[in-house]
Amino acid sequence: MYGIFMESLVIFKLYTGLRFLIVLFALSWIYLLFAEKDKKRRLLFVAAPPLILLAFLFPVSRKIFVAAGLDGQTYYRILWTVPMGLITAYGMCRAFEAHRRIGLVICALLVILCGSFVYKSGYIQKAENPYHIPDTVIRICDLIAPGEEEGHVMVVVPEELVYFVRQYNARIRMPYGREMIEGQWDYYNEVHEAMEETEIIDLEKLLEATRKEYCQYIVINPTRKVKGDAKELGLQLLADIEGYRIYRDPVAAAEVESWQQYYGEDQD
Amino acid sequence: MEILRGVLPVLCLAIWLLVIPFGMGLFVSCVIPGRDRTPGAVFITGYLLLLALFELAGIPVVILVTYDSFTLLSRIFMALSIAAAAAGFVLMIRKTVREEGYFAGGEGTFGRITLEEGLYWLLFLALLGFQLYMAFTRASFDGDDAYYGAQGTIAVQMDSLYRINPYTGRSAPLDVRHALALFPIWEAFIAGMSGIHPVIVMHSVMPLLLIPLTYLLYFRIGKELFGRKRIMLPVFMILMALFQIFGNVSVYTNETFFLTRTWQGKSVAGNFILPAVFWIFLNLFDDNWDEWPGHVWMERTERENRGYFLVLACLNLAAGAASSLAVLLSCLLTAGLGLLFAVRYRKFGVLVRAGLACVPGAAYVLTYLVIR
Repeated sequence: MYGIFMESLVIFKLYTGLRFLIVLFALSWIYLLFAEKDKKRRLLFVAAPPLILLAFLFPVSRKIFVAAGLDGQTYYRILWTVPMGLITAYGMCRAFEAHRRIGLVICALLVILCGSFVYKSGYIQKAENPYHIPDTVIRICDLIAPGEEEGHVMVVVPEELVYFVRQYNARIRMPYGREMIEGQWDYYNEVHEAMEETEIIDLEKLLEATRKEYCQYIVINPTRKVKGDAKELGLQLLADIEGYRIYRDPVAAAEVESWQQYYGEDQD
Repeated sequence: MEILRGVLPVLCLAIWLLVIPFGMGLFVSCVIPGRDRTPGAVFITGYLLLLALFELAGIPVVILVTYDSFTLLSRIFMALSIAAAAAGFVLMIRKTVREEGYFAGGEGTFGRITLEEGLYWLLFLALLGFQLYMAFTRASFDGDDAYYGAQGTIAVQMDSLYRINPYTGRSAPLDVRHALALFPIWEAFIAGMSGIHPVIVMHSVMPLLLIPLTYLLYFRIGKELFGRKRIMLPVFMILMALFQIFGNVSVYTNETFFLTRTWQGKSVAGNFILPAVFWIFLNLFDDNWDEWPGHVWMERTERENRGYFLVLACLNLAAGAASSLAVLLSCLLTAGLGLLFAVRYRKFGVLVRAGLACVPGAAYVLTYLVIR
């Protein structure tokens, strides 16, 4: 039980990022604890938050959460039921009501200094297009996309493009997706092993794996070293987009075409 | 012709993101007290009804229909939402014609605005504009989009709901874990209606709707909190906006989700659905109506409170569009706050009604457990 409590405490600490914004929240709450007289607001903004926090830290809550089949990694979302922003802003407004100009300046500075600017995140960058996915992906997908009557194509792409391809075009399949890249899943995929898990891509080995998956197209990252001659192995270089080499494998393509004609469009 | 081709998607977006939800809000808002029926409140309740209705139409389709399910869901939802919105507009027109008036009276927020108040509002609008500009011009990478974005694209391009592995494209059994959370499918529906690619709808269009919608909710909460002290409302809104912009203290906060994963259901749950529970409870009972200019103090009747519990029931189903966890959280919050109110106000009926408002959420959870 103590272990679970400590785990929940760590989750809470991670949630707050150990930044002072949580202190501002606590100060606002304490102010409201003494200053708020309205029955309804006391219930919502003074009584409810500590009860929720207690329930969050209470080990049995976490046990029930996991036993209910919910993903333990999302336990922190219970904290979303505490409206920290609302309580902080409301508490500040109430505290500085009589001196609102200077109060606003001080409170705004406190929030800025104690918080963290969301747009400085390394995951945010200038959008290249309204899709908010890299232009390179769009150009590659447009090049290999099947027509309406052609059904699907299968492509293997470098890891950094995996996230975007199927957001743009659902007719493009891949032998593996995000589940092979992120740490929480520990899957094995032969194509992924040949494509990503070696320092130098052995084209022959990669081709052996991709043909088993009927990959008609292979996209190679510009920075990756490759062993083997693509042309000799029978691959056709379709294009070079921003350094990404897009190959077509005529052997896999012919095989796919033959069974597509025989069975119709869908084969898994 | 070219102009029409450019204008048509925008017009469709305006209809499906503004007109229809507003009409639905007019429909559902007739259960709340007339003095609370402001355009902002109507729009918020409209979105709660819209998401609840989408769940109601979508869940049976997702579970029972394998092929062409997105087309079927789109048709059903189109019919339901147009009917609800039309009913709402008819109600409003009828009330207006009878001179009862549909919307709340009173001076409003922007009547006889002082210079200082105006400057505060300008500052808030600048902060809001900044967030909208950044949401439109900055791409925020999130791994979960490989799932949600692809599910939306699959719905539109493959006419299939949760039966194709979004990562690889292979056919798969129904993805029970996500199948009842239909927010990305609603976004795909908007894409289908407007002819815009689902990923553009998610990443570029949705933030332009969801960010102002969330602030509209905070605005309504602020109005409840500050009553006659009108000048504090823009101050509160400025601080709220700053809290959102600087709330990125970790990747887990709802503020981080708000501006980096705006289009995802979980962000909607954390920033719109759950705060909306507080908004509804703030509206219950009578406390501060005497503080409002243009309003006469009136005790909220039991019947009026009942209307809010109907909205709360909608909310608890709407939460399901975000995730199964969101339903649990909104129901727990509803029940918990209901208990606190019941004890403090010594009205056991509040707890009973809060419990009844959780019934749609409980039905959702039960469905989830059955198909799991």
